Parts: sequence; C-alpha cells; structure tokens
Amino acid sequence: MDRSAAADAAEPYLRIRGLAKRFGSFTALEGIDLDVYPGELVSFLGPSGCGKTTLLRAIAGLDPQSFGTIEQAGRDVSSLPVAERDFGIVFQSYALFPNLTVRANVAYGLVSTGRPRAEIEARVGELLELVGLADQAEKYPARLSGGQQQRVALARALALRPGLLLLDEPLSALDARVRARLRGEIRDLQRRLGITTIMVTHDQEEALTMADRIVVMNRGRIEQVGTPYEVYARPATAFVADFIGKMNFFRGRLLAPHRAAVEGAELVFEPPLELAAGAPITVCLRPEDVVVREVERRPANRLEAEVGVMEFIGNHFQTTLHVPGTNLDISADLSINAVRDLGIRPGRRIPICLPPDRLRVFPEPPVRG
Amino acid sequence: MASVGPQLASPVPAVSAALPRPVRQALSRDDLVMRAGLVLVAAWLALSVVLPLWALLAKAFEGPDGGFVGLANFAAYASSPALATSLRNSVLVASASTVICVGLAFGYAFALTRTRMPAKGLFKAVAAIPLLAPSLLPAIALVYLFGNQGLARWALFGHSVYGPIGIVIGEVFWTFPHALIIVTTALATADARLYEAAIALKASRARIFWTVTLPGARYGLVSATFVVFTLVITDFGVPKVIGGSFNVLAVDVYKQVVGQQNFRMGAVVGLVLLLPALLSFAVDRLVQGRQAALLSARAVPYEPKPDPLVDRLAFGFCLIVASAILVILGTAIFASLATYWPYNLTPSLRNYDFDNMDGGGWESYRNSLQMAGLTALFGTAIVFVGAWLVEKTRRFEAVRGLVQLLALLPLAIPGLVMGLGYIFFFVEPANPFHFLYGSMAILVICTIAHFYSVAHLTAVTALKQIDPEFESVSASLKVPLWRTFFKVTVPVCLPAILDIALYLFVNAMTTVSAVVFLYSPRTQLASIAVLNMDDAGDIAPAAAMAVMIFLTSALVRGLYGVLTRGVLARTQAWRRR
Repeated sequence: MDRSAAADAAEPYLRIRGLAKRFGSFTALEGIDLDVYPGELVSFLGPSGCGKTTLLRAIAGLDPQSFGTIEQAGRDVSSLPVAERDFGIVFQSYALFPNLTVRANVAYGLVSTGRPRAEIEARVGELLELVGLADQAEKYPARLSGGQQQRVALARALALRPGLLLLDEPLSALDARVRARLRGEIRDLQRRLGITTIMVTHDQEEALTMADRIVVMNRGRIEQVGTPYEVYARPATAFVADFIGKMNFFRGRLLAPHRAAVEGAELVFEPPLELAAGAPITVCLRPEDVVVREVERRPANRLEAEVGVMEFIGNHFQTTLHVPGTNLDISADLSINAVRDLGIRPGRRIPICLPPDRLRVFPEPPVRG
Repeated sequence: MASVGPQLASPVPAVSAALPRPVRQALSRDDLVMRAGLVLVAAWLALSVVLPLWALLAKAFEGPDGGFVGLANFAAYASSPALATSLRNSVLVASASTVICVGLAFGYAFALTRTRMPAKGLFKAVAAIPLLAPSLLPAIALVYLFGNQGLARWALFGHSVYGPIGIVIGEVFWTFPHALIIVTTALATADARLYEAAIALKASRARIFWTVTLPGARYGLVSATFVVFTLVITDFGVPKVIGGSFNVLAVDVYKQVVGQQNFRMGAVVGLVLLLPALLSFAVDRLVQGRQAALLSARAVPYEPKPDPLVDRLAFGFCLIVASAILVILGTAIFASLATYWPYNLTPSLRNYDFDNMDGGGWESYRNSLQMAGLTALFGTAIVFVGAWLVEKTRRFEAVRGLVQLLALLPLAIPGLVMGLGYIFFFVEPANPFHFLYGSMAILVICTIAHFYSVAHLTAVTALKQIDPEFESVSASLKVPLWRTFFKVTVPVCLPAILDIALYLFVNAMTTVSAVVFLYSPRTQLASIAVLNMDDAGDIAPAAAMAVMIFLTSALVRGLYGVLTRGVLARTQAWRRR
C-alpha cells in the first residue's frame, strides 16, 4: 500500500536542516534534519519530554530554534516572526476565545484580512459545514462538547487556507470513544483538503492509524522516520522497537554477521550486522511474530518450547514460551485458531520458530553517530 | 544527524555544513510595540516609585549644605531623647494593636470559615466597613465615645482615651479587615481529609484545633501579624487625632516635615519606618509560597458540619465584633448629624456646611472625587496594560523581570514614606518634572504608585487564568495584537478590571498618608480636610467629612455590586455553560 505521498513528490514542502534548541545548558533538540512532502500527514511521536512539541513550536516560530534552518515552500522562514509564516494551528487546549461565538471564533482571522462581509460569511459557513457544526454557529465554546470544540479550533485554523496545518496533541483532551471517531474525521478532512499536516502525539495508536509517516523522537533526537508499517515492522533502533508495540528483548553476543548466541541458544537473523564477532547485541522479536504452525517447513531458528500460563485477551492468547536448556523466555501472542488447531495448552511442549527476517538485532550499547 | 536508520523511507538529507549560526527571530510589529510599551511602563515605575524613593534615601544622608554626611543624621536622631520615646511608643502601640487585631481576626475568620453560624454574608459585609473610611474616622468616633465629653467615658474607668488606649482601639478598627482577609484565606484552604483522619483517630475537639486547624493557618497568621504591625506603625491618622501628647514615629515625621520643614530628619524617620515594611514584605513573599504548598492539588475542600454549641459561640463572638464596628461608624454618623454635641443632639446638616469652615470646604470633596476618579481610570489602564505586557511580551526577559520587580516594590513602601519621597523628588527646581509639584496630577500619580502592587497582582492573576495560547493563535491568524487585546483579553478579564478600578477608587478616597505631603491649596482633598478640621478643633465637621468619604466609597462599592450582577451578567453570558 502506497500511503506515502513522499514517493511522488520530488520537492519537500518543509525542509528542516541542522535544527537544535537549547534552553540554557539543556539541549531540547539536537541535529534535527527532516523533510515533509506536500499533502502528507506526518506525526511526531515520542514519550513526554522528547522534544516533539518543541520541534512543532519551532516550526511555527512560537519558540524559535537556537540553530538550524527551516524552509517552507522554498522560502527560508527560520527567522520570520509568527505572523509572517503560513500555518494554522490547533492547540491541545484548543485556545478558543471563550467570549466569542463559534461563528466569531472561526471568522476571527478572516475579519482582519479586510475581506467583504459577505465573503467572510460565506467562508465561515463553508468551514462550519466542513467540520459539521453549521447548526452550532451561535453558541459559545463553553456550551460545546470537547469534540465539537476541537472541530471549531480546526475550522478556525483552516480559515485562512494555510499551507501547513500544525496539530499539537489534538485529541489528548478527549475521552477514548470521541478520540477514535475524531481520528478518522481529521484524517478524512486532511486528505480531502490535501493540506500538509504535522501532528504531535504521544499516543502510538494515533500515530500508526493517522499518519502517512511517523517521526519517532527520543531525548531531542529523531530515532527513525518511516511509514507506520516500517516503524512497526523494522524499527531502526532499540528505542523505537521498545516504544512502539510490544517487544521481546534478549541479550546476546555476535558469533558471525548473521548469527548470535542469545541466552544460551544460537539464532540466525537477517540482514546481517557488520560487527566484530563477540560484540554485545540486543535481539528483538514481536510477540505475534513467533511461529507455531508448520514449523517443520522452517529449518532456521527452530526450537522446542514449553508453554507457560496462557492469558485469554479476547482476540488472541498471550503466553510465555520457555525454551528448555536455555534462558530464553519468549512472550508470544498466539491466534485463537492456532491454539485450537494445534491443541496448545499450558505445560505442553511445542515446536516453534523465530523467523530470521523478523528478528531485529541492535548493537549494545546503542551506537550513535 | 545520525540516528536515522538505513531503512529510512525519505531521501537522507546531506549533513548540514559548517558551523551553525544562532537563529535570531526577526521582531514583528507587534513585538516591537509590546517592547516599547514595556519600556514605557518600566520608565513610568522608575519615575513614580524608584526615583522618589531614591530621593528619600539621598536626603537622609545629606547635610544642611546638601553634601553627603554619612550617618550623621541618624546619629543626631538616635541621640534625641524625644525621638527615642516615640520609637518606644510606636513599637508598644503597634505590638498591642497587632496582638488584639490578629486575635479578633482569627476568631472572626474561624467563625466565617469553620462553622455553620447564620448571617455569614452580613458579618462579612460589616467587617469590610473600615476599608471604606479613612483611618481618621474611628479616631474621631472614639473622641465622641470616650473623649472628655464622651458618651461612654465611664467605660474607661478614669483612663484617658487620648493616648495609647485610643490609638490601639482606632488602629484595631482600621486594620481589622486587612487581617481578616489574610486569615480567612489561610483558613479557607483546609484539607477535609486531615480532619476526617483526626476524627477517625479519636482526637478531641481541642486537640484537633491545636494540631490541625492552627498549624494550617500559621502562615496566614504570620503574614497578618506583619501586615498589621506595618500598617499601624506607619499610620499617622489615628495617633494624630487621638494620640494627645503620646508621640509616635509617624506623627513625628509629619511634624518634622510639615510643621518644622526639617526634611532631613523627616527622611531619617521615614527610613526607620521603611524597615518593618521591608521585613513584612520579605516575610510575606516567603510565607505565600509555603501556604500554597500546604494544599495539594488532591486536597478535598473542608465543609463545616453543624455544631450547635460552636455555631452559637461563633455567632455571639461575631455579633460583638460587628457591633463594635457598627457602633464606631454609627457614632461618627450620629456626631456629624448632631447640631451641637453634646448639648443639642437634634439632627441637622449644620456640620456638612463645609464651605463656611476652614479645611477646604466642599471643594476638597470634589477634588477627592476627581482624584479618585482619575486614579481609578488611569491607574486601571496603566496597571492592566502593564501586567498584560509583562505576561505576554515574547522573550525580552530582562525588562519583563524588571517591571515585575518594580510593580511589587510599592507593597514594601508605606504611604508616608512614599509621600516623603515625592516631595523630596519633585520639590527640586532642577527636576524636569518639578512642574507637577502642587498639581492634581502628582496626587494621582502618587496614589497610583502607592496602590500599584495589589492592583498589579490582581491583574496578573486574572491574566494567568486565561489560555496562554490566545496570542499564539492570533499571530498564526495574522490578527494584530491590539485586536485580540480588546476583543478577547479585556472582555474576559472584565471582572478583574472592575475589581482593580474599585480598589483604586476606594483607596484614593480614603488615603491620607502619602497625599498629606503633596496637596496644595488648590488640590485640597476630603481626607486631608478631615485632618485639618480636626486639627483646628472643628471635630464635628471633620466627622461629617469622614462620613462623606465613607458614604461615597460605600456607594461606589454598591454600584460595583449592581454592575457586576447586572451588566456583567449580560456581557459575560459566555461564562454560563
């Protein structure tokens, strides 16, 4: 599935080079290089304090970076004041003007452009239609639900047809069900308008479901940039592997570029890691990547494992597989039909396979260039 | 850039070359306007607060020929036995007033916050009365109650009210609401869970009081103690009227400066009076941080439960205190209406015929109205815009910090000291602002400066409560700053703005301490007329003028109440959910 608009467009819409942000002696952002392509939705994902909001605010010019350049649509905006940049923004708090009606909030930026009244009214009507709030125009923000407030903020941000839409944790103030619905709505709207969008979030599910590409950040640096599938399936660093989804971590030593001794077992993996034999490594494996069916057809990394306690999660079983004679305790997710078909029960011994191309191997300690 | 893995989807950008240059964001027009505004506010505060204070300091270290004499003036002061007596008297009176006032305020505040006694609203309103009158009013009322021809002279068992007794009663009346506000705030922020835990552990009522209630309010009590002590030791209205031959420092300053034109000695005593105020300021800052920390975000607010005995005792206590306040106010009103005290008590408005008496006549009342109106108008504008600039200007940290500091400085300067600084500063013919001397403008400027801090803090609190991203949103929508200021910030903060205006107006009406050094025959004020008429022996007209000040303040406060309920209810419709 080609979800990335990046592939088609040669010229990035937003080009960030060598960006750093310091607060006194504290480094909030370091060595940020990033391209965002026209029409794509890029999500900045990371734990709190990783610098994702700082990066967003630097792009907006609200808290300018200490070093580095930002180009937007071919124009260097690095040192421009906020008002001379071209973006719309939705804050976590929405920052709706409480004393103005929904209509006046959405019209707020339009009025200052000096357009004729009729044109402003038409545009406000269009925007309210777009976010499905045409019937709420005369209400004050305090009378709207959280989800409705969020959509008013979105309509207000889009009013001036900005080239870039910035969303700072747009859904985090909402309860789970509204959040799930709005995810789809925002994504829809963004696709329909084709507006280049950056969304900051700490919620991996939000990033995985909404973004064309995810920028995973940690401690002021970018760990990986990739499509949701790439980030999930092929994490570039141990941090990304740990942060996104569930993951088994094993310690081991390299025997050859594609072979390692791991907790008393010998495992092969690909692609190979070009390090000296004996180098310490971390091996990662997703619980759902443990293979239990047709193991006899897979010669590599075939092991005999003892099934531990099985927890029924709803759509799958979660269990721990112990490999006798080693220290390998593998957390595994087993599908319900596999459990049924193979008669897997706690205490039974079953053959399993850890597919070499599903093992992710990282040097330990992590190497930074 | 290093950590992007080999399986990066987007083309890997070339590592940016050369040494990085720091980014300096260009200033928008809004930024420039705000910075210019902030510099103006800083200049205003420097002119109206810092330079006068500096002039006072300089004067205290200056010899007769204008040269620097080091501590010679202080040595001369210390060796004068009369002034040593004043110091002792001042400390004595201030200590006694503080103990009594804070004690009463604690009982009153406890009754208001921790019991279910009836008529709490009424008691609160009565306790606020002294704020609406100059400190001269209780002193004059005491003359009528316990003076040589007083109604209740017998109650003092032969002691004279002229002296420490009168001063202490008057000061307690006048400072009571100040202490009450602080202690009530401290008691209102209680964590119900502490009480529940204490009851569950079977602690007795007395033990709960000593181990939970009192420790919870200790910072408030410390703060109130210092505030009251400072107010009393720097007030000269009460001792001037009822002190008799009992000299105190504040009156000494007045006599040195206004009576003997001895500016240097006035400056020395003024500096001495600055000490308790500075100490009080420091303690207050320290204590406020602790008080806030006492109440965690997860605390459960305390709801008092009915307790017939405690509720009845509390009601009785408040009734006595409130009655005392009403009796003092009532005496002043009654005396002002009596034709000729104490021989002819038929009501008449004879004492309100100010134009036929010394002291400035009705003109001084009109001047006061004008001064209070101008102070409320310009003061509110300057304070609110200043607070907004401090809060909302982007970066520019040094100047923002400076303005914040200067805005809080007046809190540490007693009005008396402020007024002294003003004369020393503006009386110099070489000063380019000398032309202000003796004008209405200098009274307004001085009054705004005197009451700047509390108004500033009110504005800052209101501004901190609104979403910090309003300005960011406006900038992203390319809306000029002033539009957001008038369309959003001012309407949202309207209640606080009206609070500030009311505070400035009432204080401008009642203040004596600073302006007494600054008025001219053309700009005589009502509160000063009270002082001068009392000085001239026209006590009944003085009472009448004090009552006029009280009535005006009360009226404006009432109007404010109607306004907040009526107009605000309509313009603030958006607050309703």
